Amino acid sequence: MNKKQIAITLGIMCLILTMGTVVQVRTINSANQIVAQSFADNELRDQVLRWKERYDTTYANLQNAEKKLEEVRETASANTEGSEEKEAELKKNNMLLGLTNVTGEGVVVTLKDNDAVDSSKVLDLSNLLVHDGDLLGIVSELKNGGAEAISINDQRIVSTSSITCEGNVISINGEKVSSPFVIKAIGRPTMYSALVRPGGTIEYLNSRIIATISQEDNITINKYNGVISSKYMQYDE
Amino acid sequence: MILIAIIIGCIIGAVIGVFAPMVSYTYSGYLAIAIIAALDSVFGGIVATLKKNFNLTIFVTGFFGNAILAILLTILGEKLNVDIYLAAIVVFVGRMFTNLAIIRRYYVDVVMKKIEEKKSKKKVENEK
Repeated sequence: MNKKQIAITLGIMCLILTMGTVVQVRTINSANQIVAQSFADNELRDQVLRWKERYDTTYANLQNAEKKLEEVRETASANTEGSEEKEAELKKNNMLLGLTNVTGEGVVVTLKDNDAVDSSKVLDLSNLLVHDGDLLGIVSELKNGGAEAISINDQRIVSTSSITCEGNVISINGEKVSSPFVIKAIGRPTMYSALVRPGGTIEYLNSRIIATISQEDNITINKYNGVISSKYMQYDE
Repeated sequence: MILIAIIIGCIIGAVIGVFAPMVSYTYSGYLAIAIIAALDSVFGGIVATLKKNFNLTIFVTGFFGNAILAILLTILGEKLNVDIYLAAIVVFVGRMFTNLAIIRRYYVDVVMKKIEEKKSKKKVENEK
């Protein structure tokens, strides 16, 4: 074998080696950068990525379908008699269901984990954290005070919403949210006094975590971006 | 000539690697072991060159054979639920260290010989 052949063979081998190395480095960088011990972990990671992708595409489809539905609704109501009344009713119903963005006066409550206290001097660290119960208490108090629309960290509270604890995060509408929690509520101004009264929820929470409340004139609350579906209930005449 | 071919190969390989599609995370483990095996062959080749018994055919077959064998063993280990890839890594990396030690000794010897030659020359000059 002459020198030229040797050079070409070595060049091709170097090409393959560097290509493999670069591809591998890119793959590892794009993954979670956690060195996995077993291949079962990798399988799970793969699946998570795949499901995320599928979720994104499905969500985009949903958005498209909603747009189309809106168009169809508009044309349908434009063609029939008494359409304006119907449309107004539809809008009102959607607003009540939480399917449209709404604005109005109300209050903004902020709950934060307490980081002002030295954690080494506290007996139970969990006392310094915001729990699902705290959020539930605030939401109940707001509803009791006359709130018409509530959202926590832009998750709209609708009829199917749940606020649950999922390890170190809180799940609202199936989406994970974490501290600081900004709770916006539109409704009667009496909500404010209901929360700040002596011995009320805000005062009680401030003994553990950091809770602040403010009254605002112009709050915008985003719509619920999931789907409210029913399977078991049926319309009763 | 050979050095130029190696450098060009490395550059083109890196460019292709940047634009090539990513491997799924499941298979990246196999690729990693193939890379380790290939690197081991490269070090083996360098040692063979230093010892002046380099044979291109043996080098090429070792390069690809080791990589493919390592991947196959990893797959087999996964099927049997034994981490065979650990053994492959231990063998390859261990051999890499041995080869590196041989390369180091070779060059240390070369440098030491040169220094001693200089010293002996000076001694001869001083005696004169």
